[in-house]
Amino acid sequence: MEPILNIENVTKTYGNVPNQTKALDGITFQVMPGEFLGIMGSSGSGKSTLLNCIATVISPTGGRIVMEGKKLQSLRGKALAAYRGKTVGYLFQNFELLDNLTGRENILLPTSLHGVPEKESLLRLNQLAEYLEITDVLAKFPTQMSGGQRQRVAAARAMILRPKLILADEPTGALDTKNGKNIMEKLSGLNRDEQATILMVTHDSNAASFCRRILFIQDGVIFHELRRGDESQQDFYGRILKVMAQLGGGSSHVF
Amino acid sequence: MGASLRLWHSWEVEAVMFSNLVFRNSRRGRKENGLFFTSLVISIVAFYIILSLSKQDVMIFLAEMESDAVNKLLLMIPVFYGMTLGILFFLIYFACKYQMERRRKEFGVYLMMGMRRSKLFTMLLAEDFLNNLLALLTGLPVAVLLSEIISLVTAKLVGMGIIGHRFTLSLPAIGFTVAGFLAIKLMAFLILSGKFSRQEIGSLLANSSGNEKKQQPAVVYGIGTVCGAGMLAAAYCLAIGGWAWHKTGWMSLTLLLGLLGTILLFYGMRAAIALLVKTGKANRKLHVFTFRQIQENVIHQSTSMAISSLLILAALCCFGAGIGIASTNQQAGEHVLDYTFRDDHTENPQQVLPNLQAVLKENGLERQFSQLFEMRIGRVHTTENFEDVFQMDSVMESLRRLPPSEKRDILLNNLSYTDFPYLICLSDYNRLLETAGKPALTLAEKEAAVYQDASFADTVSTAMLNEIFSGRPGALLDEDTIYLTGEVQSVNFVTDRSITLSFALILPEQQFLHYTQGDYDTYINGIMSREATQGASLMTAISDLNDQLAGIGLEDLGIEYESYLQNMGRYLFYMVAASYITIYLAIIFLVVANTIMGVQFLMNQQKTGRRYQTLVRLGATYKTICASARKQIGWFMGLPVCVAAVSSLFGVKALFTGLLSSRAQEAQGEMLMVSAAMIFLLCVVEYTYMTAIKRSSDRFLLTLMQPQREE
Repeated sequence: MEPILNIENVTKTYGNVPNQTKALDGITFQVMPGEFLGIMGSSGSGKSTLLNCIATVISPTGGRIVMEGKKLQSLRGKALAAYRGKTVGYLFQNFELLDNLTGRENILLPTSLHGVPEKESLLRLNQLAEYLEITDVLAKFPTQMSGGQRQRVAAARAMILRPKLILADEPTGALDTKNGKNIMEKLSGLNRDEQATILMVTHDSNAASFCRRILFIQDGVIFHELRRGDESQQDFYGRILKVMAQLGGGSSHVF
Repeated sequence: MGASLRLWHSWEVEAVMFSNLVFRNSRRGRKENGLFFTSLVISIVAFYIILSLSKQDVMIFLAEMESDAVNKLLLMIPVFYGMTLGILFFLIYFACKYQMERRRKEFGVYLMMGMRRSKLFTMLLAEDFLNNLLALLTGLPVAVLLSEIISLVTAKLVGMGIIGHRFTLSLPAIGFTVAGFLAIKLMAFLILSGKFSRQEIGSLLANSSGNEKKQQPAVVYGIGTVCGAGMLAAAYCLAIGGWAWHKTGWMSLTLLLGLLGTILLFYGMRAAIALLVKTGKANRKLHVFTFRQIQENVIHQSTSMAISSLLILAALCCFGAGIGIASTNQQAGEHVLDYTFRDDHTENPQQVLPNLQAVLKENGLERQFSQLFEMRIGRVHTTENFEDVFQMDSVMESLRRLPPSEKRDILLNNLSYTDFPYLICLSDYNRLLETAGKPALTLAEKEAAVYQDASFADTVSTAMLNEIFSGRPGALLDEDTIYLTGEVQSVNFVTDRSITLSFALILPEQQFLHYTQGDYDTYINGIMSREATQGASLMTAISDLNDQLAGIGLEDLGIEYESYLQNMGRYLFYMVAASYITIYLAIIFLVVANTIMGVQFLMNQQKTGRRYQTLVRLGATYKTICASARKQIGWFMGLPVCVAAVSSLFGVKALFTGLLSSRAQEAQGEMLMVSAAMIFLLCVVEYTYMTAIKRSSDRFLLTLMQPQREE
């Protein structure tokens, strides 16, 4: 099977000589279709930079990011906009719902940006709303919704165009445990039922335990990889915690 | 010693750093917010222009001619100054608020780092002072230049180049400009820094997206719209119907209804925009987003939109009123005569001209006039009667046979009072026509032409009469038949425009002498010679001659005179007072309204900047979000302008009804031209503003395209 996303030796440097910071120091990995991949790392490890590079919000200094055979750096204008909205869907830590738009309008925003026929998008909207249990908040404004509802509305917005890849940036970061668990269940359900490919950045081990594979990043390089075999989510969670303990502030190098 | 030196050194370092910060911030502020700096300069220009009014060429000239009226107008200047102060305060306040909102995060950081509030306050005050200084240095020269241009243009436009230009720099005007500007600036600054100082550091650091306004059920807004529209309609009716002009109470009611109606209309407008959100095709690019943004702006800013709309309406009405008043005083007669003399002491009317010539020659002034000619005006003295001396039944009959119209009836009524007309001597009148460059009138022995002053005639009724006179109808003058012929004449026969004849007959000299029996008044019209006007503007020439005439004591000899200048002065004064003040106010209103709207929009855009970033993440291009923002600007600024434009249709019409004479109201075509010019001007101003705001918005959106790391 061909990988959907190829990250080849990607580097990203911020600032100018002599005050350069290497956020990504040559990262290489692949994402297969239908995969639920987690990227973990401490703050400043470069995980958000990586996600932003894939989302084309920033461009990498070196290396290649290839999505379905197309090099992202070569995308311009319309193709770039289409990539942002249609090929990838973005789920933000702070939901980033537009608070002057209703739930429905928020979800339909990408369809209006990319000119999808109304009928088709409404069909998809209803299907997603039902699955994500947000049917009764569609007419409400974000300020009238709970945090969990907001993130589920945001998830519906990220999914409305059936993107090839969903980029989730700390989706549980602004939620309490219960709502965090709920959104993760919904995401893994979408991954299972719709074969949605999800790339999630998190430092919440609990959320990460929903993934099938986890890459640990430290100081801009991949430091470790975990795959969830047939083990239970609980066991996988245990293994994650162990790696995280090693990772914490680079303790493995100190002691 | 060492300790105090160190203390001094550290204080010095701190002071240098502090002043560097002040200079850098102030420069950045000007660079980033051209709109802010421009509004400062506009305020300065506005102050100077109103304050330097008394130094304008036209005013200096008028002060000599119509000193009473001019002094009254100049007494009003403090009132206008106060008004300008009030209006510009809003402008400065909004501009400063926008500027400070942009920097709230920065203030939060300063405070977090331990800068004391008093220090922050001092820093901002210093920055403000620097900005004010630069604004004054830019604004004052611009103001002086503009004031000079206005002076020249008004002189050229209304004075027809008769006024010599003098460069004037009004020091008190500069003083008051600086004082007024600094006062409102300081006041705005104090209020705003008071507001900011009460906020917690946390809320300064957070990019607040604006406080939510409590929403009412849609019905409330629906009712608001309907009530607002109803009130506006009532105000329009009162204004158009002329009731508003009957009593002060009615006028106040009309204004109150208009004011409340506009505010309610904007309050309820959100419901209408919500409908637009729903009705539009959802899959049109960002349609929903654009209209939700517009709706949000309308919700948050409904009152200031209403006020902006009212200001624009006031501007349009000012233009209308100014032009209306000016045209009421506009006199059709062109400049033909320079002087008219009248001699009440000489018994024999034939001796008037020789007498005057003799007096002028005695004083060496005869070369000042290229022409001096008689204008003889008299009444019928061949009969003792004062009634039914003149009858023109056939003319009246022909008029009655014309299709009925209001004009015809008015004319019939006016002509029924012409039974004892004035008589004008044909040879004198022809001399006048010759001087005016018009063809002479030829009348046979039994013929007469009709004279009607332009202020009593309008084009339609003159055309009716001309049509009838072309048939050479007969009339009875003291029981003799005479034939009325030629076109109705209306060249002013003396300089003084307050002497007019509503109806007179022009008769050949012999006939004139016969009917007046030699008992008539003689006016002597004078045209200045080239020698007198050479090398000087007409104003100086006539002023000089006036001085010389006063010097020889003409009035002691019983000779009175009126110059074109005195006469022009009266006309000019109204023209200038009306046009200058109203157009000035109109421009101030327009500028303030637009700046408030623009600043409000940009402020809101700044607050909701994150939304645009989200859109970019969702795949919106820079072009798409710019287009959406531009559309929002169009709507946000267009709505108040449209409401104002509709209201102005009624407002200006009402002003014309209230202010214009019936004759001026007839000039519908002219008024239409004026309206078209007003609308065009409004379009130009709005277009300019919108373009500036759109550019500003594009620049801001471009900064959002770069992601910022946030943890």
